[in-house]
Amino acid sequence: MNIIVFIKQVADTEARIFIKNDQKSLEIENKFNMNFFDEFAMEAAIKTKEKFKDSQVTVCTYGPKRAIEALRTAIAMGADRAFLIDNTGFETEDSLIVAKILSAFAKKEGFGLILCGRQAIDDENANVGAMVAEMLGIPHASAVINFEVVNEKTVKIDNEIEGGKESAEVQLPALFTTQKGLNTPRVPLITGVMKAMKAVIPTVDPTTLGLAKEDIDLNASGIETVSLESPKQRPPVKIIDGESPEEKVRNLIRVLKEEAKAL
Amino acid sequence: MNFALSEEQEFFKKIIADTVDKMIVPKAQEIDEKDEFPWDLWREFTGLGYIGLRYPEEVGGMNADKVMCMTFYEEIARGSVGFAQSVIMNILMGTYFVYRFGSEAIKERCLLPAMRGEKVATMCFTEDQSGSDLGATRTTAVKDGDGWRINGTKMWITNGPICDFCTVLATNDPSKGLKGLNFFLVEKGTPGFSSGQVLNKLGCRGTVTGELVFDNVWVPNENFLGAELGKGVFYVGDILDEVRLMTGAMALGIARGAYAEAMEFAKKRVAFGQPIGNFQLIREKFAEMDTLMNAARLMVYYGAWLLEEGLDCRVLAAEAKMYATEVCCKVVDELTRIYGANAFAYEYSPQRYFRDARFLLYGGGTHEVLRDFIGRTLIGKL
Repeated sequence: MNIIVFIKQVADTEARIFIKNDQKSLEIENKFNMNFFDEFAMEAAIKTKEKFKDSQVTVCTYGPKRAIEALRTAIAMGADRAFLIDNTGFETEDSLIVAKILSAFAKKEGFGLILCGRQAIDDENANVGAMVAEMLGIPHASAVINFEVVNEKTVKIDNEIEGGKESAEVQLPALFTTQKGLNTPRVPLITGVMKAMKAVIPTVDPTTLGLAKEDIDLNASGIETVSLESPKQRPPVKIIDGESPEEKVRNLIRVLKEEAKAL
Repeated sequence: MNFALSEEQEFFKKIIADTVDKMIVPKAQEIDEKDEFPWDLWREFTGLGYIGLRYPEEVGGMNADKVMCMTFYEEIARGSVGFAQSVIMNILMGTYFVYRFGSEAIKERCLLPAMRGEKVATMCFTEDQSGSDLGATRTTAVKDGDGWRINGTKMWITNGPICDFCTVLATNDPSKGLKGLNFFLVEKGTPGFSSGQVLNKLGCRGTVTGELVFDNVWVPNENFLGAELGKGVFYVGDILDEVRLMTGAMALGIARGAYAEAMEFAKKRVAFGQPIGNFQLIREKFAEMDTLMNAARLMVYYGAWLLEEGLDCRVLAAEAKMYATEVCCKVVDELTRIYGANAFAYEYSPQRYFRDARFLLYGGGTHEVLRDFIGRTLIGKL
């Protein structure tokens, strides 16, 4: 079984991010990671491979050249193959275009199972996984918190729903998006790190996947960023003064009532 | 000139940084507070295979270049210096002579298990009256039948009280001074070999450091680790530059950890109605710290490059160790000033960085000895 894992390289949560002067694009400090939720997908894929020895894990991302680092991390964790679909000149905010490209890749490579994070922590769209499943015409379950491949035809899962969880059996081929709590992503062994360092990662031109250029180029996007804004700054911490603890408490209650309107 | 890391080196740096963040950073404060060897973390971390960092792939190592080694030392020290000391002792000094001179049987018995973290290694130079002054070594090794009889006491031995084997420096002829020094392998369980006092250290807590006693310890000829008698000090020279650069890299790691704590605090701590990072005198501290750390980083990694290229770096390695450690002490001091009174409380981390940094002043050569060596080498014999 070919297990495809789609990952995304995203800015580190501690990277400094600024809105550029055009108010439409970002300047991001050079600190990037594999998307947090994709790590659970990687771990689930490797665990499945450990159970079904003849499986192979193929990891793929649609992104800039720097995303090769995230692919190497996936190889260090245990992926067999990695592909970068280079988005240079095709950068888009439109999840639909990304999904078209990834589903075209999956069709070309063949697959028995597809995994990806439930959403990317940068744009937080949570679109691509479901869109890819739709385009491939396969079942899809999102925010999976338990995942067990029973045999080459069936997967048992639990996924999060509002206020509880849902258990299901899903027929393969299918696509699952992974949620925190599914597993503990492994720390790579040195043997994996060495393999990843030496790995030659092929770059795929998105126009070679059988899609019309005008469907994926810069003009194809149905979404146009009008402007970006930073969140409002939090007001500074207010220190409640008073001669005694009792007076401080009285002052605190007054502030909560009169200024914060919390009481 | 090309200062860029290769794609592979960049990747390695990121992987090891992530590993340290996940495995070690969350336990650093606990390791320091308990001051007990963290066996669970040891098993978990060494299970990844990093102890073989420097050794060839044929023996299960990674064959990492010197820049990657420095990256590793820096990152792990950033996580916890106490833990880093134990790991690096196994990676570098503790296994160096066993790998270089050990028989196949010794490698099978000691090196390979040490690379898997199943055995703890150490090296014993220091005695109560000698450290940098190796010529004053009083531990003796006297020929006895088909082996050697070792007598003496070693002090300040990282991993000493928990080691499974050690490489011990001993003299076979005290009258020859440095030219009488040799290395021998002594394994746990050898009659007469025991651990003595465990030191209660100011910093680098979690590493077990202490005394090793050699009371009429007999080891077979196979345990003599060298090609020729009396060459021990030359063999030390072969690893000394790497040890000094490693110490500099560890200093950089502590400094980076401290700097990050200071930065986070300066952004969050509000005084006079605004984050203290807005005040010029606080900004000046960051400008100073960053400048010093960048200079230290250039020295350490330039030294690593020279070492990798097989070029002479004796003076630079000593300078880099000395400078990076002094920078580290400066940065941890600034952290405590930025943090204010809380830095004086054991509940907060700045005091840990402050204490840990002090050890690097002595490990890898005191700065007084290094300054003398640098000056003497530069001026030459007059």
